[in-house]
Amino acid sequence: MARIIVVTSGKGGVGKTTSSAAIGLGLALKGHKVVLIDFDIGLRNLDLIMGCERRVVYDFVNVINGEATLNQALIKDKRVSSLSILPASQTRDKDALNKENVGKVLEELGQSFDFIVCDSPAGIEAGAMMALYYADEAIVTTNPEVSSVRDSDRILGMLASRSRRAELGLEPIKEHLLLTRYSPKRVEEGEMLSVEDVEDILSIPLIGVIPESQAVLKASNAGEPVILDTESDAGQAYQDVIERLLGETVAFRFLNVEKKSILSRLFGG
Amino acid sequence: MADASIEFKGSSFTLSVLHLRTSNLADIRADLVKKVAQAPDFFYLVPLVVSIEKLESSVDYQAVKTLIEEFNFVFVGFTGSVVKEQRKRIRELGFSFVNTAKTNTAITNTTKINTSEKTATADKSVVTETKTIAVPPQCNLYTDKVHRGQIRSGQQIYAKDQNLVVIGSVSAGAEVIADGNIHVYGSLRGRAIAGAKGHHKAQIYCQNLEAELVSINGNYWLSESMEQNWGSPVYFHLTDSELTSSKLI
Repeated sequence: MARIIVVTSGKGGVGKTTSSAAIGLGLALKGHKVVLIDFDIGLRNLDLIMGCERRVVYDFVNVINGEATLNQALIKDKRVSSLSILPASQTRDKDALNKENVGKVLEELGQSFDFIVCDSPAGIEAGAMMALYYADEAIVTTNPEVSSVRDSDRILGMLASRSRRAELGLEPIKEHLLLTRYSPKRVEEGEMLSVEDVEDILSIPLIGVIPESQAVLKASNAGEPVILDTESDAGQAYQDVIERLLGETVAFRFLNVEKKSILSRLFGG
Repeated sequence: MADASIEFKGSSFTLSVLHLRTSNLADIRADLVKKVAQAPDFFYLVPLVVSIEKLESSVDYQAVKTLIEEFNFVFVGFTGSVVKEQRKRIRELGFSFVNTAKTNTAITNTTKINTSEKTATADKSVVTETKTIAVPPQCNLYTDKVHRGQIRSGQQIYAKDQNLVVIGSVSAGAEVIADGNIHVYGSLRGRAIAGAKGHHKAQIYCQNLEAELVSINGNYWLSESMEQNWGSPVYFHLTDSELTSSKLI
């Protein structure tokens, strides 16, 4: 049985696609068979972050409409062979998906993959509902600021009431909190909500804290998911997320302001 | 158009009723002296309804009023199941006649409490008794609706004709409504509306107050009024139709 994980947030621009790409690739690097699905129909981004935008022939909507088979639409990642991407359509809108057909596609994918990672569009409309409907687990991506936290709270309410698991009265979706763009320095200065603040408001278990990092933008533009940048703190933080998703206990890093050593201060490091 | 400066509204109050067993004013006075002497502060300026139901002969209504006002009671009117003509005569004399509520179920409790007092003074001419007039029908009928888990932003929970118990927090942007009381065993960050159908005794309890709005029976506070008890365990209630907050511990 494949684990269906939706990466969602409610609010836009908090790092859903970046996180989906990093998590999908990270799981594949661990040897798991992973498919990444872009649910953001009409605003196709995942293929850009994954660096496969030039290889898109068929997309998710084509598969839904029976215009292409899954094998034709799936793009195999060039870096990791166990990773595939199902891109969104850029020319259609979110109404192109329907529950029944999405369910069929997910079922078919479930037979050949271990993980199905769904990159959700922002908002709480049909598109986002479609992305979370079949999920077993949800990674709620949140920035440490009040509006993002409020929107995440809203999405958590949706996960608990509008998903397939909720409708059928099954065990509820497993919720994970992923805090992105975290800046310990700004938390210390009182400009940003702390990990504790966000945990207190949302009261769901934390799966990772990704520090604000230049490496993320660089990675996005290069089409190389940031998890491949093992030197960067963001890349390392995503590695920790993967470990935790796979059931390991890993201490949280990058939560405090780094103290500069005397040497690096002297040499302006 | 309704008047802007005033508004008439029906409300129910608990009033003391003085049952007369004799029309002999001297006897009544003697027993009143004894009774009031037991607790002068308790009876001071207490609104009083005089029941003439147990009287066998007619009484001087004006004299009764003067008498009880002498003892610093506030005279409200006469009551008792008497013939229509007598009721009419009382009104013609310029006194109000107060009808007791037909539904006596809710009254039972309060009358029971006073039974011992009643038997002790049974041989006397005066019996004081607490009677609830016009009890709101929903009183004492509330059961609990229990919600386990957090109530998220955008969710709304309504406990119709019930109290609402939330075992968890109420997020900002969420709304909890009950016709009875609201208990939040967590943080209250959203809106809480108790006594939604009009119930002035409704209360709101929470472990941590960070609410956007609390309202009881239409009296509401926004968070800016809650600074004093912000972040503490608090409950809200109405005192004289004014919303009041008190620390829980």
